[in-house]
Amino acid sequence: MPQMGASVAEGTILEWRKQLGDWVESDETIAEVSTDKIDTEIPSPAAGRLVEILVDVGVTVDIGVTLARIATDARPGEPHDAERDPAPPVEPVAQPAAPPRDPAPPVTQPASPSDTPVDAGARRGAIRRYSPVVQRIAAEHDVDLAAIEGTGREGRVRKQDVIAFVEARGLADPVGSEADEAPLHTESPYRPEPPGSADGQYKPPEGRPLSRMRQTIGAHMHRSLQTAATCTTWIEVDVSPIELARREKGMTALPLIARCVISALVEFPQLNAWLEDDVHTVHEQVNLGIAVALSDDDGLIVPVVRGAQDLSAEGLSRCIRDLASRARARALSADDIHGATFTLTNPGQFGSIMATPVISQPQVAILDVEAITKRPVVVTDAFGQDAIAIRPMVILGLSWDHRALDGALAARFLANIKRRVESYES
Amino acid sequence: MTAGRNTSTLTYLQAISDGLRTEMRDDERVLLMGEDIGVFGGAFKVTDGFIEEFGVDRVMDTPLAESGIIGTAVGAAVVGMRPVCEMQFADFVSCGFDQIINVAGKMLYRQGLPVNITVRLPSGGGFSGGPCHSQSPEAWFMHSPGIKVVAPSTAEDAKGMMIASIRDPNPVVYMEHKHLYRRVKGEVPEGSYETPFAARVAREGAELVVMTYGAMVHTALEATEDLDTPSGHGRASIMVLDLRTLKPLDEQAILSAVRACSKVVIVDEANQTCAAGAQVAALIAEHAFEDLDGPVVRVASPDVPIPYSPPLEQAVLPSVDRVREACRQLLEY
Amino acid sequence: MSSSVRTRYPRKSRLSAAERKAAMATSSTAARTGPNTPSDSLPEHLTLDDRVGLLRSMLLMRIIEERLMKLYRQGKVPGSFYDGFGQEAVSVGAAWAMAAADRLCAVHRDLGAHLVRGVAPWRIMGQYMGREDGVTRGREGNVHFGDHRTGCVGMVSMLPDMMLVATGMAMAFKLRGEQRCALTWFGDGSTSRGDFHEAMNWAGVQHLPVIFVLENNQFAYSTPLRQQFAVNPVERAKAYGFLGMSVDGNDAEAMFEATRAARARALDGGGPTLIEAVTMRMHGHAAHDDMKYVPKALFEEWRKKDPIDRQSARVAAQGVDVDALKAEVREQVEQATQKALAGAMPDPATATDRVFHPRDADEILLEDGAAPWSGFKVTSSGGRRSR
Repeated sequence: MPQMGASVAEGTILEWRKQLGDWVESDETIAEVSTDKIDTEIPSPAAGRLVEILVDVGVTVDIGVTLARIATDARPGEPHDAERDPAPPVEPVAQPAAPPRDPAPPVTQPASPSDTPVDAGARRGAIRRYSPVVQRIAAEHDVDLAAIEGTGREGRVRKQDVIAFVEARGLADPVGSEADEAPLHTESPYRPEPPGSADGQYKPPEGRPLSRMRQTIGAHMHRSLQTAATCTTWIEVDVSPIELARREKGMTALPLIARCVISALVEFPQLNAWLEDDVHTVHEQVNLGIAVALSDDDGLIVPVVRGAQDLSAEGLSRCIRDLASRARARALSADDIHGATFTLTNPGQFGSIMATPVISQPQVAILDVEAITKRPVVVTDAFGQDAIAIRPMVILGLSWDHRALDGALAARFLANIKRRVESYES
Repeated sequence: MTAGRNTSTLTYLQAISDGLRTEMRDDERVLLMGEDIGVFGGAFKVTDGFIEEFGVDRVMDTPLAESGIIGTAVGAAVVGMRPVCEMQFADFVSCGFDQIINVAGKMLYRQGLPVNITVRLPSGGGFSGGPCHSQSPEAWFMHSPGIKVVAPSTAEDAKGMMIASIRDPNPVVYMEHKHLYRRVKGEVPEGSYETPFAARVAREGAELVVMTYGAMVHTALEATEDLDTPSGHGRASIMVLDLRTLKPLDEQAILSAVRACSKVVIVDEANQTCAAGAQVAALIAEHAFEDLDGPVVRVASPDVPIPYSPPLEQAVLPSVDRVREACRQLLEY
Repeated sequence: MSSSVRTRYPRKSRLSAAERKAAMATSSTAARTGPNTPSDSLPEHLTLDDRVGLLRSMLLMRIIEERLMKLYRQGKVPGSFYDGFGQEAVSVGAAWAMAAADRLCAVHRDLGAHLVRGVAPWRIMGQYMGREDGVTRGREGNVHFGDHRTGCVGMVSMLPDMMLVATGMAMAFKLRGEQRCALTWFGDGSTSRGDFHEAMNWAGVQHLPVIFVLENNQFAYSTPLRQQFAVNPVERAKAYGFLGMSVDGNDAEAMFEATRAARARALDGGGPTLIEAVTMRMHGHAAHDDMKYVPKALFEEWRKKDPIDRQSARVAAQGVDVDALKAEVREQVEQATQKALAGAMPDPATATDRVFHPRDADEILLEDGAAPWSGFKVTSSGGRRSR
């Protein structure tokens, strides 16, 4: 039962224009319904055979209740309209600064993740078989398997081939940032709205179940917010010394900032701790988790730099790059992703300046490093004279668990990082 | 759990001895029973020196009666002892089959009385032992409810699993591979520790996983050291999963490995039909279907008694070459 | 034992000083090995209460089994039904001589042993009817049970496997220096299996405090003795190095005396004893067996030796109202039946429970059972009882 009007809560079937067993075209009127606002015709959401009517004439049901079922399988001997068109590409999540993709598919054809690649392959004239995992990955990333060259026996598409295809497709879009390497982390992706269809009628998009990875991440985030008393404190930092140092060393700012954070953690070990069921464990060793985005929709993973307190900035840089590349190649071991005592996340490459990161349980804090932006700031010279200078500034956001520490400690910790960054000497 | 302890380099056999000795010192209820284990120190010398330390009351030279050893062990266990039975060769356990399967295995379910016995089975072939001294009969006991089955492959695990098996309140069949006794050495933590009944990743990998246990773990590691990845860019990244516990199987580790690697080779030294690997394959087919990028491949001994003459025996037992070839073909699929 | 040992045996199974003294007192009596105790002489170790108790237990066994047979025919007892009709003295008489700390392995015609040890009749009947509150909670059927809280280990169907389990228990007692023994029953047919030999040999070679009661009831299902062995198995005991004796299995007091003596011998370090209890299986192997293979004359001969009739005559001669006793037992069984019938069937969802014992759960061991013999009661004088 569609919602026709913001305050409409229910509707009544006045008449079924199609009977059980009838063929119905997409958009063809299938029923007439009455609400307290309007009597209206309902166009069919898809083409197919009407196989089940669930609500009879004269019955009133709530908005959202299923009224009937249409089988969208092809008629015997006749390929269905939906099967002739190519699978419409859905906007991939987390494309860094990607230009908008090709104009969205005709909205009358809802994106169906189960559009069979076999049919697509049939167009090539050869029967290609795809293993279960290949099909699953292709479905999750909306890949047309017919477009992939296989390196398996007799040209078979292997799992590694699909993964490589997906990653290459991700990297093919211009990154457009100063960083030498692919961004570690992406958040708040922007997706342009699909333009309205030619005839102006609104077709609600069809939802897809979240991928397993997305569900897992979601559950962890949700659980963290429900468990911890999460607060966020921000501080502005002048990163001029860091910018200077990173150009000299030929690395990104992250390892240098990380080095400062680690030193601050050594001074403030209460932030390098775990809180589980009221048991508070302060760690001496700093195992620094670095949030890395896997390609496309596969979400986040947080590999761990173990014993980070013993690494220099160069060491950290090397370690972070190695972990990130292994993360994307799915070659991380269980040890690589367990045991983090503090997490660093760095999504700032797209211009966002502040965030409220979610603490990774059972840690007590997480530090977010957003975009480095040139800003006019007030500087005081040696004679106490104020002037305006242009400085590269970054806002560090620390989410911390109020069950384990107070705002004052969080602020002091951030101040410590600020002091180290602003006085950094390589 | 054992991090930070001193370790010594022990053979697999010494590690088993160490496990037995450690637990016997800690728990006066532990009683060793077997043929020739006391004065002689055991056919393979696992219990050498034990009778001097623990006395005849705790290191029992039994009559030649496998059913007797296991049946009396059940009786001793239900009145509070912790018997550890040694079958001189795994092959001879068939003489005590009834007592393990029907008396020990079912006692808890049927009568509410747990039976804490451990049955050590020196198993496996590779040294011309012939058909009656070379068997790997773990599947007989996996199939029977109420019995746990473990099969360590390293010295460290051999000791930890020995101690854990004795402490487990259920009947545990402990497969100790004769071929590993003196050929495998490792760093073994000192003192008392338990190895959990769970699988162990012997080598990390991403393109294919070999799942196996016992002596075949070492065969698998050797076979997959230097395979090339099919795309031609360097070494293939092959995981080796040491199952360690056969009943219960570590289903989570198995399915997780399939999720990571998508190609599976399962190696059994035992005869192919209904070996442990068959159960692993069934588990994967049912619960990891969507993670598979190729058929589940098994390498096992054919369904023949293990022959005596070296060329025949080597043709039957899964060799490094056979395992390597199976992996190579599946990698390329 | 090493002084660094951390886990030690629980001590609760040890006899108290008084119990130990009583046991030593009875063991100093010369063992009686004659085949029959004349029924009119006063038994040395049995009071009138004991003699009545023997009769009561046998009556309980018979009446329970008769009631269960009816329930079986009414479809309330699933599976098979076995009974020990005519053999009640074998289990009751022998069990009567066992101390609380001793351990027993009974088989399918020894229901009386469970009753002597203290299993409530209603739970036994619930057990046969597969109820949740039966002894095995529906996991095992009919008499294949042993309530570990009464010191009994339930049988397996592969006879005589339990001979080895009893041997093992006796072995543990000896190793730990405890004044306890184990006893097991088994049938004539089962002596043909290897476990009989292994147990007899083991018990003999290790000189263990175990009592083997061979219920020779003339038939193993349909197989008569002459097709079962070439020598009478009681003769074999000597070949294993210990005493074997033949006892009138239908005389509860003779069974008691032979077992009492065997126990005393065992505790005195005299090793195992094989007691052949000569009796007759008066019903079929199971309820589905009509026993056509048994000559009628044999039946008649043994009917005259019915153990309950004989014991009834004995105690009646001492002035006991046997009819009143029978009525009492019948009433007891009727109440037990009603209680058992009211019990729920097990929940199918629990069918896969209790296959493995969890590591962190409490240890479950055999516990002491009832030991009604007057000889185990401590007197104020602490000396030997004369009646």
